[in-house]
Amino acid sequence: MIRDLLQRAPMRRLLVVLGVVAVIELITGPPGSNQYPTSGFTGSYAEAASFFGIFRTQRWLVFLALALVAWGVVELWTRFGTAIRSRGSHALAGPRQMTEKRPVRVGFALVLFVLGILLPHIVNNAFWQSALVTYVAIYVLLAIGLNVVVGFAGLLDLGYVAFYAIGAYTTAWVTGALPTPPPFGHPLDAFWAIPFAVVFVVIAGVLLGAPTLRLRGDYLAIVTLGFGEIITIFANNLYGITGGSTGTKQIPHPVFHVGPIKYTWGLAPVPYYYLALGSVVLFLVIFSLLQRSRVGRAWTAIREDEVAAESLGINPLKFKVMAFAVGAASAGFAGVITASADNFLFPSSFTLVFSINILVLVILGGMGSISGVVVGAIIIQVIQAYLNHTPPSGYQQPDLYIYVGALLITMMIFRPAGLIPSRQRRREITLYEKSHEGHPDEVLLGDDV
Amino acid sequence: MSAENVFEVEHVTLRFGGVVSLNDVSLVQKRGEILAVIGPNGAGKTSLFNSLTGVYQPQEGTITFHRADGRSMSVIGKKAHRVAGAGVARTFQASRMFSALSAFDNVKIGAENHRGFGVIGAMVRGPRTRHDDRRSDEKTAELLRFVGLADRANVVAASLSYGERRRLEIARGLATEPEVLLLDEPAAGTNPSEKLDLARLIRRVRDELGVTILLIEHDMKLVMSLAERLYVLNFGSVIAEGTPAEIRANPVVIEAYLGTSAEASA
Repeated sequence: MIRDLLQRAPMRRLLVVLGVVAVIELITGPPGSNQYPTSGFTGSYAEAASFFGIFRTQRWLVFLALALVAWGVVELWTRFGTAIRSRGSHALAGPRQMTEKRPVRVGFALVLFVLGILLPHIVNNAFWQSALVTYVAIYVLLAIGLNVVVGFAGLLDLGYVAFYAIGAYTTAWVTGALPTPPPFGHPLDAFWAIPFAVVFVVIAGVLLGAPTLRLRGDYLAIVTLGFGEIITIFANNLYGITGGSTGTKQIPHPVFHVGPIKYTWGLAPVPYYYLALGSVVLFLVIFSLLQRSRVGRAWTAIREDEVAAESLGINPLKFKVMAFAVGAASAGFAGVITASADNFLFPSSFTLVFSINILVLVILGGMGSISGVVVGAIIIQVIQAYLNHTPPSGYQQPDLYIYVGALLITMMIFRPAGLIPSRQRRREITLYEKSHEGHPDEVLLGDDV
Repeated sequence: MSAENVFEVEHVTLRFGGVVSLNDVSLVQKRGEILAVIGPNGAGKTSLFNSLTGVYQPQEGTITFHRADGRSMSVIGKKAHRVAGAGVARTFQASRMFSALSAFDNVKIGAENHRGFGVIGAMVRGPRTRHDDRRSDEKTAELLRFVGLADRANVVAASLSYGERRRLEIARGLATEPEVLLLDEPAAGTNPSEKLDLARLIRRVRDELGVTILLIEHDMKLVMSLAERLYVLNFGSVIAEGTPAEIRANPVVIEAYLGTSAEASA
C-alpha cells in the first residue's frame, strides 16, 4: 500500500520538496551554542515565528505551509509546464528575431549604457554607490575576461585571480607604494598604471600560457590553480619587493593629467564607477568584436575539437595563449581600479576562492555568452551586496556560499548552459548529453571487409 | 623524380612503447593520382595517416611532402597545423565536425587564413580583414555547392545525415586549399547510394580541382572502383602494391585478408 503510494510521481515530488524545506529550515534557523549544542537544530523547527505578520506560530508550520505551496507549483508546472513553455517560446519568437538584428542590438546596448551612466544618481545612496564599483563593476570586468578563456576558448582557468593581483600590484609599484622603487625612479599617477598593468598581465598570460596550454582539461585546471597560488605566495613572502603579508596602504588615488586637462579621483565612489563602467564598455566592445572575428571562430574550433582544428591549419597553442593574454587584460584593469580606489592591497585578498567566485559568475551567466555573463555577474553580486548590507536575522557572510551553491546545483539541473546561454554552448551541451545516452552516431561505425 | 611525387615515405617505423605500429614502411604517391591504402583492422592504416599529417612522430625514416611550386617539406618533426598549412588536408575515421556549428561555419573555419594577423588585426575590421572575410565566405559557398550541400548551409552539423557529414568534412578539408587530401574511411557508415555519390565526389575532387587523393577504405567495391593504385598494409608492413587488378590476384593479399596463416605472414 505505502510502497504503491510512494512510487507515484507526485508523492515522490512531495517528499523531495519536504526534504529541501527541512534543510532550508535548518540553514535559516538560529545558531547553536557551546552550552546548548542542539539548540540550533531544535530551534530551527520549534522556535516561534511570525506567519507573514498575520499570526504567530512555530517555524515548522510556516515552512510546512510554504512546502505545500511549492509542491503545488511543482505539480502545476509538471502538468502544464511544457504547454506553457512552448506557448512562451512561440510568443517570444518575434522579439527574439528582433534582437538578432544589428540596429536593435546596438540600440538596446545604447539604452543600457545610458542607464549605466544614470545608475549612481538613481540609487543615490552611499552604500549602493560604492557597491556598484566594489561589488558589481569590478566583478563584471573580471567575469567577462574569464569568459574569454573559459567560454570562448574552453580552457578551465582556476588561477584567474593571479592576473587581478598582478594588476593591483603593478599599480602599487608604479605609484611607488611598494618597497621596490617605481619604474624610471619616480612614482607615477595611478592612472598611468593601466598601461603597465595591461602589459604585465599580458606578459604573465603568455608566460603562463606558453608552457602550460599544451595540457588539456583537468591538467590545465590544476596548473592554473598552482599559478594562482604561486602569485599569492610570492606576494606574501617577497617582503623586499611586495611588502609581504601587510601589503601596502599607500596607493594614491588616480589622477588623469594631460596638458590642461586634469581630473583627480578622490574618496567618492561615483567617479570610480565611471572609470570602471568605461573599462567594462571598452572590454565588452573588444571581446564581442573578437568573438565575431576569425580569432573567435578559431577559438570555437579549438573548443569543439582541437584535433580537427589543427588539421585545418589552426595552431592551437597560439590561439590559446591569445585567449589567456586577452582575457587577462580585463583582470589587469580591474586590479588597477580596485587598488587605486581602495588605496591598499593585501596578498590575502587574492585567493583561490576568489578565482572560483569569478568562475561561478561565468557559469551561472552562461559560458561563452557575453550578455549572460554580464547579467549573471550583476545579479549574483547585487544579491551579495544586499545580503552583506542588510543581513536577514541569523545570516552570516559565509552563508552566501550555501545559497550560491544551491543556485548553482539548481541551474546545472534545469539550465545547464547558464542564465542566457550562447546558442553554440547550448547545442554543445545537448549534443554531449545525447552522446552519453547512446546516441545512434556512436554505433554507426563502418562495416568491415 | 620528386616533382611528380607528392609524398615520399621512406623506411618509416612508428612504435608505441613495445608495439610496432608501422614497420619499415616505404611508399610513394604521384601527383594527381587516387591512391588507396587497404589492410585488415589494426594494420596501421590510420597510424600511417597520422604520421603523414604530423599527428604522430615516427621514430625512424623520412616522410617528404613535395609541393607543386617545387618546395619540399620534411613532415616528421612538424606540428600537425604546420603540415596542414603546407597543403595536406585530411578527414577523420570517426567524422570530427564542429558539431554545434552550422555547415557553413564548419567550412568557413577551414577556409580562413589562420596566420599572419594578430588580435588587433582581427578585431578592427579594416579593408584587408573585410576582404579576407568576403573571400572566405565566397570560397565556403562555392565548396558547399561543389559537394552538394548548398541548401544545407545553415543546418547545424550535428543534424546532418552521416553521408552529408562525410561530404561536409571533405568540403572543410578542401577549404584549406590543399594539394593532397587524405580521406580516412570516407564511406564508413554510409548507405549504398551515398557510397556511390561519395565515389563520384572524390573523383570530381581530383578531376576538377586537381587535388591528389590518398584514401583508406574498408569497402572493397568502392576502393577497387576508385583507386588507381593500392598499397596493402598488414601488421604495420607493406605487403603488396599494385593496380586493383594486380592486388585482387595477389596471393599474399588474399592470405592476409582471409587469414589462413596470419602467423606465417607476420
